[in-house]
Amino acid sequence: MRKLAALFLAFLLTVSCIGFAVAEGDITLDVIICQYGNNTNNWFTGTGMNGKSFVELFEEANPGIKLNLEVVSWNDVYTVVSTRISNNNAPDILNIDTFADYATEGLLMPVKDYCPEELYNDFFPSFIEQSVIDGTVWAVPDLASARAMYYNADIFKEVGIEVPTTWAELEDACQAILDFYDGAVYPWGLDMTTDEGQAAFSYYVWNNNGGFVDAEGNWALNSPANVEAVKFAVGLYEKGYTNPSPATQTRYDLQDMFGAGKLAMVIAPNQLPTYLTEKGYTVNLGTAALPHNEGAASGATGVMDRVMAFKDGSYPDQAARNAAIGKFLEFFYKPENYTGWVSMEGFLPAVSSAVSFLVEADPSFEAWLSVLDSCQFYPTAKAEWIDVKQGVIEVEQNALLGGDVQALLDELQAKIAK
Amino acid sequence: MNSILIRHKWEPYLWLLPSILLMTIFVIFPIGIVFKLSFSEISKAGIVGAFTGLENFRLAITDKVFGTVMLNTLYWVASVVILSTLLGFIVAMALNSSFHGRKIARSIVVFPWATSLVIQASIWNYIINFEYGNLNNILMNLGILKDAVNWRASYQIEFLWECGVGIFVTIPFVSFCVLAGLQSFDDAYYEAATVDGAGFWNKLTKVTLPLVRPSLTVSTVLNIIYVFNSFPIIYTITKGAPANKTDTMVTYLYMLAFYDQRKGPATALSVIGFVILCIVAGAYMVISMRKDETL
Repeated sequence: MRKLAALFLAFLLTVSCIGFAVAEGDITLDVIICQYGNNTNNWFTGTGMNGKSFVELFEEANPGIKLNLEVVSWNDVYTVVSTRISNNNAPDILNIDTFADYATEGLLMPVKDYCPEELYNDFFPSFIEQSVIDGTVWAVPDLASARAMYYNADIFKEVGIEVPTTWAELEDACQAILDFYDGAVYPWGLDMTTDEGQAAFSYYVWNNNGGFVDAEGNWALNSPANVEAVKFAVGLYEKGYTNPSPATQTRYDLQDMFGAGKLAMVIAPNQLPTYLTEKGYTVNLGTAALPHNEGAASGATGVMDRVMAFKDGSYPDQAARNAAIGKFLEFFYKPENYTGWVSMEGFLPAVSSAVSFLVEADPSFEAWLSVLDSCQFYPTAKAEWIDVKQGVIEVEQNALLGGDVQALLDELQAKIAK
Repeated sequence: MNSILIRHKWEPYLWLLPSILLMTIFVIFPIGIVFKLSFSEISKAGIVGAFTGLENFRLAITDKVFGTVMLNTLYWVASVVILSTLLGFIVAMALNSSFHGRKIARSIVVFPWATSLVIQASIWNYIINFEYGNLNNILMNLGILKDAVNWRASYQIEFLWECGVGIFVTIPFVSFCVLAGLQSFDDAYYEAATVDGAGFWNKLTKVTLPLVRPSLTVSTVLNIIYVFNSFPIIYTITKGAPANKTDTMVTYLYMLAFYDQRKGPATALSVIGFVILCIVAGAYMVISMRKDETL
C-alpha cells in the first residue's frame, strides 16, 4: 500500500515537471486594467469583442504570450497596485492615471524600451509630453476625455436667456434662472468633493489665466489669479446659484440632477450624453465652452489615463519580455480593436490612426477632437501631484465653510513647495 | 491511567489549535506587520523603506486635522455607545414583558442590525436627501412642512445624522444582549421583590440592573470597539467631508492611506487606535472583574 502511494506521488511529481517544462517557453504578462464602465470587463475578459474577449484574441494572434489580465475598479486600483508593489509582485503592464511616483521610485521602464517605434509615433505628441519626467517618457496615454459645459436648452429657452461665455454672464444667467424657477432649479453644478474637487479647481483657475504651475513649471497654487478664481467659484455657492452641498455631491449626483431637469448647467466629460441615455434620462442638452473671466483665455480641462510597464529583473529573457509588452500595446492600439474600446465607453482616442476611423463612424467626434487640441492637463508628471490634488480639495471645502481663500492657498503652497 | 492524564492535558490544546493557528495567521501576524510598518518609511508607490523611529507618529499627530478627528471620534463613540445602550435597554425591557405579537416585535427590532451597514447608510442618504428625500416627501404630504427642508444644511447636522444612524443600527445589538440576560434569570426575584413591596423603580435599580450588569458589560465593551472601528456609515454619508470635519479616526486613516497615499502616518494612526482600544477594553474588564469579586 505504502509503495503504491509512493509510486503515485512520484508520478504526480513527474507530471508536474512536464507541465512546467511546457510552460517554460511562454511569457505570461500580468496586466491590470481599470474599470471604465460596465463594458470594460466584458470587452477584456468576456465576450465583448464580437463574441470573444481581448485576452482570447490576443493569445490567438500571439502564440507564446499569455495574459493574466485583471480588470480592477478605480476605487481599488491604487490599493491593489501598492500592495503588489510592497510584496515585490508589481504587474507587468498597468493602466492607471498617475505615474510620477512609480517613475521617480525607479519601478517603471522607459517607454522606448518596449514600445515599437511606429506605434510610438502614432500617439498625439501633446499627450506623450504629459508623461515625461527628466526627459524620459514613462507611460503612454490609453485614452482621454475632455470637459465641456452642458446646459439644459429647454430651461434656457423658457427663461429666455443666452448661453453664458464669461463669468459675469454666468452670474446673470444664474440669477435669471434662480428668479424664474424660484429656487426649484439649481442654476449651476459645483462638485468640490474628494471624488473630483481638483477638476473644479482647474475649471476656474484655467479660465482665469491661473493654473497649478507657473510658466516655468513650478507650483504656483496661491497666484492672485487662482485666489480670484476660487473666490468666484465659492461665491457662486454663497449666492445660492449652485447645488446645496458641493462638498458631498459628486459629479454623478450632479449628472443625475441635470438629467432630471433639476440642474440647468453642469461641467461634465464628453461621455455625459452616453451616461444620460443609459440611465434613461431625456434632456434637450447643448454644449458650450467653459465660461471664463473677462479678459482671460478660455481653457478646457482634459483628463488622460495611461499605460505603463514595470521592471521585473527576475525575468530570464528581458528582451523577450519587452517584445511581448510591445506586442500587447500593438494589439491594443490596432485601429479595429482600439476604436471599439474607445467608443464603447465614449472616450476620445490617444492615437492619430484611430481618428479617421472614429470620425467616419460618428461625425460628432470631430468637434471633440478639436477641443482636445486646446486641452490643458493636470500636472501629473510632478511627484507632488497627489498632495496637490488632495490639497486643493481641502482648500475648496474649507473655503465653502467660510475660510479665507488667500490664507488657505498660501498655506497649501508653503506645504507643497517646501 | 497516567496516559489518560497526559492526554487530558494536551487534548484541549489540540482542539484549540485550529483557532490559535487562524488567529496567529489572520490577527496576530498582521498586527505585528502594522506595528513594523508604523516605524518604517513607506513611499507613495508602496515601497517599504528604512526604519524611521517615531516620524510617522509625529506626522500623524502634528497634522492640523488630527485634533478635529480625535474629538469627532470621541463624540461619535460616546454618543452612539451611551445612547444606544440606554435605548437598547429600554427596548429590551419592553420586549421582555409579555404582550400580543411579541415574537413579531422581536424580529422587527433585529432588522436594522441584520442589514448591511452600507445599505442602511445609503438608504438614510435617500431619506434625508433634500431634492427627492422620503422625509421631505412624507412631511410635505402630511402637510407638516410647506417647503422642502435641507436636512443636511451644515456639517454639524450631517454629523448628528451619522450619529443617529449609528445609534439606530446599534440598538438591536444592545437589546438582544440585555434581553438574553433578562431571560436567563428567574421570575422568582421579581416575585420576592413584589412581596417585599418594591415598586417599578426599585425593581429596576435593585433587581434588574445588578442582574443584567454582566450582559451590559459585554455589550458595552464590544460596542466601544465596534463603534470606534465603524467605517461604513460615515464613509457612505459624508466621506468625512467637508475638509475632514466629519471624519472619525477610522475613516480618516482610510482616506490617508488610500486617497492621499500617505501610508506611513496612516499605519501610525491605526497603531494609536489599537492602543486606545486595548486600554479601553482592558480598563473596563478590570473594573467589571473587580466589581464581580466584591459582589
